[in-house]
Amino acid sequence: MAAHAVTTHNRRFDLALRWTSLFYLGVMVVLPMVTLSVQAARPGFQPFWRALVDPYAWHALKLTFFTALVMVVINAVTGTATAWVLVRYDVPGRSLVNALIDLPFAVPTVVTGLMLVVLYGPTSVIGTVLGRFGWGVIYHQPGIVLALLFVSYPFVIRSVQPVLMELDRAEEEAAATLGAGAWTTFRRVTFPALWPSILTGSGLSFSRALGEFGSVVMVAGNHPLLTKTAPLHIYGEIESGNRHAALVVSSVLLASSLLILLGLNALQRRGGVNHGD
Amino acid sequence: MNRLFLALFALVLAVPLAGCQSQSVSSSDTLKIGAYSVVREVFHDGLIPAFAARWKSKTGREVRFEESYDASGAQARKIATGFDADLAILSHEGDMDVLVKDGKVKSDWNSGPHRGILTHSLVVIGHRPGNPKQIRDWADLGRPGVGVLYPDPKTSGGARWNINGIYGAALLAATEAGKGQANLSSVRDLMSRIQANVINMDPSGRQSMANFAERQTGDAVVTYENELLFQNKEGEPIPYVIPRSTLLIESPAALVEGSVERHGNRALAEAFLEFLLSAEGQQIFADYGFRPVNPDAKASSSVPPLPEKLFTMADLGGWAKVEEALYGSNGLWTTIAAERSQSSGR
Repeated sequence: MAAHAVTTHNRRFDLALRWTSLFYLGVMVVLPMVTLSVQAARPGFQPFWRALVDPYAWHALKLTFFTALVMVVINAVTGTATAWVLVRYDVPGRSLVNALIDLPFAVPTVVTGLMLVVLYGPTSVIGTVLGRFGWGVIYHQPGIVLALLFVSYPFVIRSVQPVLMELDRAEEEAAATLGAGAWTTFRRVTFPALWPSILTGSGLSFSRALGEFGSVVMVAGNHPLLTKTAPLHIYGEIESGNRHAALVVSSVLLASSLLILLGLNALQRRGGVNHGD
Repeated sequence: MNRLFLALFALVLAVPLAGCQSQSVSSSDTLKIGAYSVVREVFHDGLIPAFAARWKSKTGREVRFEESYDASGAQARKIATGFDADLAILSHEGDMDVLVKDGKVKSDWNSGPHRGILTHSLVVIGHRPGNPKQIRDWADLGRPGVGVLYPDPKTSGGARWNINGIYGAALLAATEAGKGQANLSSVRDLMSRIQANVINMDPSGRQSMANFAERQTGDAVVTYENELLFQNKEGEPIPYVIPRSTLLIESPAALVEGSVERHGNRALAEAFLEFLLSAEGQQIFADYGFRPVNPDAKASSSVPPLPEKLFTMADLGGWAKVEEALYGSNGLWTTIAAERSQSSGR
């Protein structure tokens, strides 16, 4: 911004816009979250800790992080591969494919859950076949991962794709000319440029997965200590009048997400990879 | 361009603020009801039109209803935190107690001839046509290979009725066998065998029914009798059995004092409540599958006779006591869930 060229009038305007934006962020995002944290912390550390290590709450948190992690590992690989295919290959109907990738954002998550139950549920064709081998998907833990994979499908693709498009292919070609195989080129030249964006996409999808409720409530089965994730546990505690227990688990999810997002920002600044920052 | 953005910004901020100042219309002929979700059809399609016609012929005035339906616990919390319903219609006494504690409902709400109870129903078991798994009683739900559905008692008042029914039947049988001294291990055994057969605990009773009826999940669904009778009226009928010993579901209704005061519609609210309990009102409930609380109304001819042993929450020691015994941190149901997770790994 060339500040010296801006008239006083415009400067006042910029200031107003800046403060309005910050105020809006404060009212819409920060204020509710601060309220939540304050409410969770108000009774003191002992009750907070007790609510956290309650076996049901603790298991729900562990399960949430575990299923989100499994999802992220799968998404990091398949998302990068999909972005690669979209950028580097001639895909028939590219614009349709591009539109389809964002579709999971538009589907209400409850409907996502319902679709998965209809497709993989114990009475569906696939569910019946899997059941014969003793594999449960819906109403078991794999169903949770399946739901998370669907709702967070676009994140990694959408963060890797633009970086891949900007990437200077001359370096790859140079590597190839110097005798590097396709795999070595990817590992030594392409991947180092891509990994910050893969990490960004993974982090965003992980954060998204921590709070996912609508689809998981349909597919998880809600068995405490087996398939009840943290958001389901929180919902149950609120519905049965244990507000503090719900707030404590919520604040842990909130803090985890904040740390992940802060970490990603720091990483991007250091790595010099810049999107929308 | 920039100015346009600022204008838009201001607009975005202004809209929710303006929305907060909703005007409160206070008209003596408007009635707000806050009810649990199960009674939506009987109120919206049956009772409200019937009462409106009556009120019109009696007073010559229109009556406008504002209806809110939600899960019973959520509805109680909404009213407790300021939703100004004139009439609270809830699934069970436990939720009404929340309103009494908050001073929203008079503590003598249950002193009338029907003890504040608006409807009766039974905890029953729905099964597949032809009853291929031979389900007749609670014990059959615990047999290996029987898939059972009931909602999550953490979120569903209906589920609490269901599980309380299973618990009560087992407890009373054990008390009888022990000549007054119940051996809790047999109660625990039945409950944990049934819980092990539960495929999925949906968040609400309605979702549990949909899962059973539409997606053909499970062999048996534990639910309110009126939910099954309603389903049978609307769609594919689901046959059901009434266990030999089961729980009488008693759902309460009461005036919310503060709201009635503020809206100045006490006469209307009282007339509506009176109508709900009258033979005519109860007949409408019966048509929608409830068991009437007023002996002048006849239960629908298609409902089976009452079971051999019908017990109430009072027989089990009252809502609060059962709540603690089952769902408290060391409650029977709570610890059964923990046991189950240990036996099947993580």
